[in-house]
Amino acid sequence: MAYNVIVLIKQIPDIDQMKTNPGTGEPLIQNVPLRMENLSKNAVEAAVRIKEKNGGKVTVLCFGTEKSTSVMKEAYAMGADEGYLITGYAGNYPSVTANALASKIKEIPHDLVILGNQSADSYTGLLPGSLSAILGEPLLGNAIDIKLQEKQVSVVSALEDNNLEIATEMPAVVSVAQEINQPRLPPVLQIMAAGRKPINQVAASNLQVPEVKTISNRAPKSDRKRIVYEDPAKGIEEVSNVIREAIR
Amino acid sequence: MKIIAFSDNKAILSQIISRFRDEAEVHAITPDPDFILKYGASKTFGLKGDVLSGPVSKAIEKMYQSGGYDLIAIGSTVTGREVAGLLSAMLSTQAVSEVNSLSFNGGKATTSRFFYGGKSLLTEESVAKIAVVAPGLAEATESSKKSDITELQLEPSSVKIVSRTDKKGGSVDIEKAQVIVSVGRGLGKKENLEKVEPFAKAVHGEIAGSRPVCLDYGWLSEDRQVGLSGKKVQPKLYIALGISGQIQHIAGMRNSKVVIAVNKDKSAPIFEEADYGIVGDLFDVIGKIKDKLAQ
Ligand SMILES: Cc1cc2nc3c(=O)[nH]c(=O)nc-3n(C[C@H](O)[C@H](O)[C@H](O)COP(=O)(O)OP(=O)(O)OC[C@H]3O[C@@H](n4cnc5c(N)ncnc54)[C@H](O)[C@@H]3O)c2cc1C
Repeated sequence: MAYNVIVLIKQIPDIDQMKTNPGTGEPLIQNVPLRMENLSKNAVEAAVRIKEKNGGKVTVLCFGTEKSTSVMKEAYAMGADEGYLITGYAGNYPSVTANALASKIKEIPHDLVILGNQSADSYTGLLPGSLSAILGEPLLGNAIDIKLQEKQVSVVSALEDNNLEIATEMPAVVSVAQEINQPRLPPVLQIMAAGRKPINQVAASNLQVPEVKTISNRAPKSDRKRIVYEDPAKGIEEVSNVIREAIR
Repeated sequence: MKIIAFSDNKAILSQIISRFRDEAEVHAITPDPDFILKYGASKTFGLKGDVLSGPVSKAIEKMYQSGGYDLIAIGSTVTGREVAGLLSAMLSTQAVSEVNSLSFNGGKATTSRFFYGGKSLLTEESVAKIAVVAPGLAEATESSKKSDITELQLEPSSVKIVSRTDKKGGSVDIEKAQVIVSVGRGLGKKENLEKVEPFAKAVHGEIAGSRPVCLDYGWLSEDRQVGLSGKKVQPKLYIALGISGQIQHIAGMRNSKVVIAVNKDKSAPIFEEADYGIVGDLFDVIGKIKDKLAQ
């Protein structure tokens, strides 16, 4: 049978290119390029594979800003059929994000909602659970494999000590881990076609941003000695002594 | 103060209880009540039934609504983070995640957590009532304080467990190791582990690795992965071999006492996070250090 899959994607600053202010230690995010979050790509890939195998439709939702059209296009190029950009993102507040996404999800008929288990920038991992509670749909979390049979979805959930195969009836929320797949790199033709595809924009309403005061946001202090020997012959003597001292 | 503490990981739960038992009444919820009993919670609830996030969140919701709790502290595991997300929506209250420090001041919580994949440490003040606690909040110490075990039966879930497969490995606990020899992609291939093992033995170290080594290539088992998405370790000595030192790796070894790095690239970021660094081929260097130590 064919499935309607909603996939949730996030746009984040490219952390690897991010620098910190050498004076204050504060992260400099102003001119950092934006990109699709790592696990969001795995989520799109998982959704598109379901469509390719069973038929159906993939709808992408992104809670972001006017600048997030590029990640929507990337999702289109990977094979998504339709996309809604929900604008109004004003920072990392998982409860706000969950509500903004859930109110749109409720308007779209679906069998599955797929998203990344944790985002590479904030790393909270709260969204899958919150969405599950707001939508009233069961959560199958941290999936490294998804199987569908009629109205039943089962996943292998990667826990710390074991892999748990769990199953439930759809509609359901599935969060994915990196191991689930290797996201495709779409061919140029598809990228070009994606550029012409319309993106629906809607503004989020009724956002209730919680009261959080930032006390500080700085690169963690590192007071390492940073004694580096470019000539191994010299370093070995000293480092051997350090090791001897440390393991005594 | 009154706190609900839950984790399906007994190490994290014992740390949460140790952190709060003197300033608060801690009600601990655990699948391992016999183990947790030693850490001095005021009440210990032993879970019966499938420890899945749905039923666990319902049980905690019920307990929380029975009144008087200031905080729900949840250990950061796959299940724990799901439970926190569920509860945040169910109770319409804020949750703060991955905290590595937590204190209270007049109803407000001050928390710190890593942000931007570990590039910054974010300290915030909020009215959050749910805190997801990273491993290492406090040292777990046993207490003479006694409590009884109350059984807590979980409701059946609409999610069914089909099967459970233990992960390979499982016997090491690198979080407790005093010396860690950690290998990265610079290892080249799995067979080269044989060249690192004698060195690890000579320094009485446990072998750990970066994410590519443990996850993508599977040269080591997953329970040996150090980093943001792996274990947070704090040995006396951390020796990084052929690890570039990406921020997500640093997030797991930052609390090591002494860090030694060997990398053939002198501009590798790991040297910024090391006390002592040697620029060179890792196999060459560890061979020579081993000889030196044997003298
Ligand atoms: C959300 C997220 C979570 C992540 N979580 C983690 C995590 O928990 N842990 C983790 O480690 N990573 C994590 N990563 C991945 C991380 O970003 C890096 O990709 C990873 O740490 C790199 O591993 P590496 O240093 O082994 O490999 P590389 O970056 O490829 O470095 C290999 C190094 O070996 C050196 N080298 C090669 N040959 C030799 C030789 N013969 N002798 C000496 N040196 C040599 C090279 O100069 C190089 O510096 C995460 C990434 C993301 C996005």
